[in-house]
Amino acid sequence: MKPVVVLGFYGATLDAASGPRRWDRWRPTVDLGRHEDLLIQRLELIHQPEHGGPAEQVALDFRSVSPDTEVRLHPLRIKNPWDFEEVYGALLDFAGRYAFAPEREDYLVHITTGTHVAQICLFLLTESRRFPGRLLQGSPPRRQGQGNVGSYSIIDLDLSRYDLLRRRFATEHAEGSSYLKAGIPTRNEAFNGLIDRLEAVAMASRSPILLLGPTGAGKTHLARRLYELKKSRLQVEGAYVEVNCATLKGDQAMSTLFGHVKGSFTGALKDRPGLLQAADQGLLFLDEIGDLGLDEQAMLLRALEEGRFLPLGADRAVESAFQLVAGTNVDLPRAVQAGRFREDLLHRIDLWTFHLPALKERLEDLEPNLDYELLRFETKHGRRVSFAPEARRLFLKFATGPEAQWPGNFRELSGTVERLATLARRGSIDRAAVEEEIAARRQAWQGRAPSGDLLERVLGDQAELDPFDRAQLAHVVQVVAESGSLAEAGRRLYAVSRQKKKSLNDSDRLKKYLTSMGLSYELIHARKNS
Amino acid sequence: MSELIIDGSEGEGGGQILRSALALSLATGRPFVMERIRARRKKPGLLRQHLTSVLAAKEIGHATVDGAELGSSRLHFAPSTVTHGDRHFSIGTAGSTSLVLQTILPPLLNVPGRSRISIEGGTHNPLAPAWTFLERAFFPLLSRMGAQVGGRLVRPGFYPAGGGRVELEIEGGALRPLELLEQGAIEERRAEAWFANLPVTIAQRELETLGRGLELGPSERHIVEVEAAGPGNVLFLSLYTRTSTEVFSACGERGVSSEQVARRVEKEARRWLEAQVPVGEHLADQLLLPLALAGGGTFRTVAPSLHTLTNAKVIERFLPVKTHFITEAPDRCRVDLRPA
Repeated sequence: MKPVVVLGFYGATLDAASGPRRWDRWRPTVDLGRHEDLLIQRLELIHQPEHGGPAEQVALDFRSVSPDTEVRLHPLRIKNPWDFEEVYGALLDFAGRYAFAPEREDYLVHITTGTHVAQICLFLLTESRRFPGRLLQGSPPRRQGQGNVGSYSIIDLDLSRYDLLRRRFATEHAEGSSYLKAGIPTRNEAFNGLIDRLEAVAMASRSPILLLGPTGAGKTHLARRLYELKKSRLQVEGAYVEVNCATLKGDQAMSTLFGHVKGSFTGALKDRPGLLQAADQGLLFLDEIGDLGLDEQAMLLRALEEGRFLPLGADRAVESAFQLVAGTNVDLPRAVQAGRFREDLLHRIDLWTFHLPALKERLEDLEPNLDYELLRFETKHGRRVSFAPEARRLFLKFATGPEAQWPGNFRELSGTVERLATLARRGSIDRAAVEEEIAARRQAWQGRAPSGDLLERVLGDQAELDPFDRAQLAHVVQVVAESGSLAEAGRRLYAVSRQKKKSLNDSDRLKKYLTSMGLSYELIHARKNS
Repeated sequence: MSELIIDGSEGEGGGQILRSALALSLATGRPFVMERIRARRKKPGLLRQHLTSVLAAKEIGHATVDGAELGSSRLHFAPSTVTHGDRHFSIGTAGSTSLVLQTILPPLLNVPGRSRISIEGGTHNPLAPAWTFLERAFFPLLSRMGAQVGGRLVRPGFYPAGGGRVELEIEGGALRPLELLEQGAIEERRAEAWFANLPVTIAQRELETLGRGLELGPSERHIVEVEAAGPGNVLFLSLYTRTSTEVFSACGERGVSSEQVARRVEKEARRWLEAQVPVGEHLADQLLLPLALAGGGTFRTVAPSLHTLTNAKVIERFLPVKTHFITEAPDRCRVDLRPA
């Protein structure tokens, strides 16, 4: 057991007493020395210099009831003990000077005495580990004024030690994560992990959050849920403001975001506050932030760093404290290289970055999302719709099978469900409707040429290729880049010969082809996002 | 020597069994392990006052100790040799100096040499032998057994402030058995009401009530104002007989009237007088250990308390002796301690 050291204030109200009758009273500091089950090695008693006399009396009385305790007095000048800043500063300095040795001594921070401000400061300093100890709270005996000993409790702010509280926090965290997922029981581990992290970050921080991911992956949806979660936890008071930067063009962009004053340009007939101001104390979601103009980027950076900005034509800055959530599907570092995006702004918003995976990267979540979309349809249209069992199997086989592309991600899935549900007869989606939708999807996806960009990225400054080879290679590279393994890519690329059992080893065949082109599976995956 | 294993929750189950075991272990050199220390108490395990006794015993017996920590429910204690010397101990929470003394005094009694010991803490506590009782009733009997014990109250200490101080000189020697069977004729009665930092009327009312109850004359009543760290009050009745002395006392407490304090003393004194025995309940408790160390002895007392019975049991674990409690009347008992 490490020796116990108590730090606390001389209580000018509760500890102060003179004459023999002082022993009848409950004096919180002296009381600490009277507990049979608490042995204090040292008491560090902080007091105002003018209270030196009474504090010395407390020290004497303490030694009398606890001769094993060394009492040290620390005169500390605090002009106004009700001034938060001054008290906090004085205690912070004290903590800085004090030679804490938590490996050898067990510190208890006594919060029964001192002004409420002092108690709050002690709490904060203990919570932030500037005082590396636990809190000590005394309480008076049931019958006061008879010299009886009170009681005490030791409070460890490391809440993980409190099983009940820990379970409550775990439940709250799980509820938060589930809320962000709109209650959809998603199965993809990477996605679930991402949401758990996002929940933790969003609850602990007001810093910008950057959501990356392809269009339709659910960025807007997530930003809105994030706001609602923070609102339910009383972390934001203001509004949720959402804008797609791709829709902001020219002068209107500045004015829409930052507002203007009457007469600042032709047509500015009255003051307009702007979206940043509308999001004060709330959450601002800037989707497609990569499309924001350079001037607007500069203004946004200032608003983020200083909490203030200048509306068009205004000569006084306005203030707005909002949490920024930015969304994009473009590669921002490349946009920086190309001079289309400010590097400083990127660094400012690239603090908490979350990559939302495409639907195709988490096909195991398609089924729960399908149910969610059906439920949503029901809520929206007041009609309950479900798949006929065979139709459901058929749809899921296609939607999660090797053919599945889902370039429009969850938005595309949502549209598909909406079409199926709308055309459903008597609330049932049948096999014919599903077959029709599958055909429509196939057609939509067939036209998707592999992007020339991907091939360029993967090949780098490799030797030139004939158009004949380029077309084939582009498709192969696209499939490899989309696949989770070489074997998966092999199965898809040699689907026909596979069925005829002509080829025994698709992976090997593909690997040889890639090698002949100076490529490999690893290389393609390394370069596909570069 | 083989190690004894003692269940600390047996019998009286509090600090007494621990203090007796420490004293006996020191006196016999026999190590022990005590388990379930104060297991059935509200705050189980070692409290500060017990820890002070353990550490004091460790010091005089140069013992190896394991588990001497606050809240510990298991203690291992292995003494080497007990040595005399000048020592100072202090006990917190205004705990009783007598309890520390109970632990370290017996083993010093039959070791040749001289000790000067000072102890700080409470000297007159409600639930422990009062210093004045030890000084007037107990120490003279020890001297009669062959060990010289002289004490001085430097400053009384009362609950809750504590801050008292006692000093002792102990000269150890071979202890001889004691025989104390008859209550001698009373030669002097002395009632004293001590008070510190309190109104004198408290002492006056106590003496008035006690004086009326026992028909004490004015020369037998004494009001004594003492210096102490905090408020305090204690009422004594010392009865000096031809053969020995008994002291009965009660402490003034908040919420207990002076009359009640006086009646407590009167009740205890009457019990002793009516039993016609030389040794009262608390003195019996103190005497068992020195008798055991002397190898035997006998005295007559009132019906033994749970404390005394627990003590006798612990003694029999450490020493080859047997204590016989022979009830002679409902509140009259002859205690014979003999080699087993």
